[in-house]
Amino acid sequence: MAVLTRDPLTNRPPIYEGSRIPARVPTILEVDPILREEGDILEINFGPNHPSTHGVLRLIIQLNGERVVGLEAVIGYLHTGFEKNMEAKTYWKAITYAPRMDYVAYQANEYVFVAAIEKLLRMEIPPKATWMRTLMLELNRLHSHLVWLGTGALELGAVSMFWYCFRERDAILDLYEMVGGARMHTRYFQAGGLAEDIPIGFYEECQRFCDTMPARIDEYESMLNGQAIFLERTKGIGLLSAADAVALGQSGPVLRASGVDWDIRRDEPYLAYDEVDFDVPVEAEGDVYARYRVRMREMRESVRIVQQCLDGMPEGPWIADDRKVVLPPRHELHTSMESLIHHFKLVTEGYRVPEGEVYVPIESPRGELGCYLVSDGGPRPWRVRFRTPSYVVLQAAPTAMSDALIADLIAIVASLDNVMGEADR
Amino acid sequence: MAVGRKKLADYGLNTERILMEKHGPKRDEPSAFEAELGNLEQRLMLTTVGKALAWAQRGSMWPDTFGLACCAIEMMSIVSSRYDVSRFGMEVFRSSPRQADLLIVSGRVSHKMSAPLRQIYDQMLEPKWVMAMGACASSAGMFNNYAVLQGVDKICPVDIYVPGCPPRPEAVLEGIVRLHERIKAGVPPAYELRKAAQG
Amino acid sequence: MSAYADAPGFVEEREAFGETTVVVELERLREAAEWFRDEQGFNFLSDLSSADYLGWGEKGVAGYWGSPPQSAQTRDWTPPARDLNAPGSWGLQKLPEPKPKRFSVSYHLLALGPSPRRVRLQVWCDDGEPVQSVIRVWPAADFFEREAWDMMGIAIEGHPNLVRILMDDDWEGHPQRKDYPLGGEPVRFSDEE
Repeated sequence: MAVLTRDPLTNRPPIYEGSRIPARVPTILEVDPILREEGDILEINFGPNHPSTHGVLRLIIQLNGERVVGLEAVIGYLHTGFEKNMEAKTYWKAITYAPRMDYVAYQANEYVFVAAIEKLLRMEIPPKATWMRTLMLELNRLHSHLVWLGTGALELGAVSMFWYCFRERDAILDLYEMVGGARMHTRYFQAGGLAEDIPIGFYEECQRFCDTMPARIDEYESMLNGQAIFLERTKGIGLLSAADAVALGQSGPVLRASGVDWDIRRDEPYLAYDEVDFDVPVEAEGDVYARYRVRMREMRESVRIVQQCLDGMPEGPWIADDRKVVLPPRHELHTSMESLIHHFKLVTEGYRVPEGEVYVPIESPRGELGCYLVSDGGPRPWRVRFRTPSYVVLQAAPTAMSDALIADLIAIVASLDNVMGEADR
Repeated sequence: MAVGRKKLADYGLNTERILMEKHGPKRDEPSAFEAELGNLEQRLMLTTVGKALAWAQRGSMWPDTFGLACCAIEMMSIVSSRYDVSRFGMEVFRSSPRQADLLIVSGRVSHKMSAPLRQIYDQMLEPKWVMAMGACASSAGMFNNYAVLQGVDKICPVDIYVPGCPPRPEAVLEGIVRLHERIKAGVPPAYELRKAAQG
Repeated sequence: MSAYADAPGFVEEREAFGETTVVVELERLREAAEWFRDEQGFNFLSDLSSADYLGWGEKGVAGYWGSPPQSAQTRDWTPPARDLNAPGSWGLQKLPEPKPKRFSVSYHLLALGPSPRRVRLQVWCDDGEPVQSVIRVWPAADFFEREAWDMMGIAIEGHPNLVRILMDDDWEGHPQRKDYPLGGEPVRFSDEE
């Protein structure tokens, strides 16, 4: 009788023995040569025009009957040249590009780039901006998980979940519109704080949202948690052990569903996360159902954090006072010559960021989102690179899909929650 | 011969505006859009059968699931219950282009994706319409670089452009309403007007 | 006194902005990667970035003026007080320090666990110089190295599947290099018919 040793990372028995990472190329599941000779292998194309709305992902799969025996992910169908484009623009304009990468969790992208700029500038951000940024990032986490749940359940056949989730999503977008003027890609974060003050009426609307949201999450769970077909399609599918997940660079809900307790918000805190109280959900099974459970629990924790941010929002300025980086208030331009010159220099040339290189990791709804920013001391970034979780999670797809049927493939891709905009950049 | 506003309204094109009116040095010649409509004038008289066909076509125009980037998320939100697109008969998003009528190109089209896009467009059966949703599909938006196709009208003829980054769901619905009015007025789909993709 | 001085091929260690950067020799990258993973416990590869420094410092940017000293320190960085006598502080020509070679490849490592640590392992190479693959050390490096090859032309040696990942398979050139044009088309105005 085999004795299951405990995984040092999770202190639990491993989900499967050994490693399922393909031996030759970690990101390509290759057909066994014996099977290729004796079996009837059908090679088909899955994408890039996908019925599921995860974007333009192309999977070349080899099928033996209904069983997936070979898999390769081909990406690049949404490559937009973000990083090179941002090198040609000043920092002010480059912030506009950032949210369009991960277009579902756009505030996280905006924040990570602004955080990298602020780290190089060594700026001190007023507490009101810090807390409001935390609030908006958590609302964005809710938004991202709602879109994931709506589209994921839609692909598995639970079609009505789409309408329920998008009802709440519209409520969140109303809050964003109130604050930033646009539903998506709000461009509300500036280097130094926020673009504008929090509008009147926001607190009441957000409070009303926080009051109704937990009941709505209960509604989603009541629809899916006990549903026999959903459980059959998600339990035991897409197994990923902790050691494999860490070796493949996974983070976020995928890693936490495999049993590893790692969350950048708690372990390397940024913004106001060290001042709010929240739990980090971890599940042990490492299958699609575990990732679903982790994200549902994360939604509840996000509502808690939003509530705490509302309660603890400090008063004060919403942007730092450093006139070398932040535009002066409009009314000062009429009376102060220095303000006029600062405004002119900032608008035409842009603020200069000191020379150096930084890497800022944050916890986006998909995992670790990092921005590597190299500055040469000028008004334009020298090199911007985003470490996006969706790019990395596609590397885990072949490992999770060993021993899957073609119908499970849809469930596994949905559970990995990749957004091709940030995978391809 | 320029088509005046009065004539367009007679055909039901209430929401069309003549864009790019005579501009620049060549003031005596009509602009490209006006010339196009001028040629159409003879064709805009619909028979009863034509009117019935136009009613059927615009009453249940099924879109194709061609969501690419951020605009895809806003396209999904027009299906949601607040901005219900089902009132226009369009909530049935078909994944197979053989069953779809309207190709809503929502998002930036990279050069790598332009071949599949043209293939999907070719697989659609006539009559078919194309909506360029968002700034990136209309003209590559803010991405004037090596990787992005500078406007989807470089490879397929577009019927209606919806600006925005991303356009609000109401803006997309406005685009759909204008497209329906075009069909009702008898304006043929873009591939008949412009023959093929024009740069 | 450097924490990582025993790394194979150690060249230098820099501390800036609260981050540690360890530069190692290009030839001993694979050994250094294994040393970091096995001896130091950096079991997680966060990111693998490449940067092109062609044209670094040629334009000569004026110096950063510096923020005024802040009263409360909420982080453990000390923002530079405005030293009016520092070179470059009046906006005069200040050139950034030159880099050793044209390309840098940075490996951002993380030690997962109760007390997490991060480090940046960095190597420098020129155009065409092969960089050893670390795919057998951290399998997560697969897509990253393909992207470094595709976008920046860093010749990765020992990668089992080094093909283009983001661009078309038959694309020529490496787009993120500094000598590759941004591309696009010139903006047309309606006046110029």
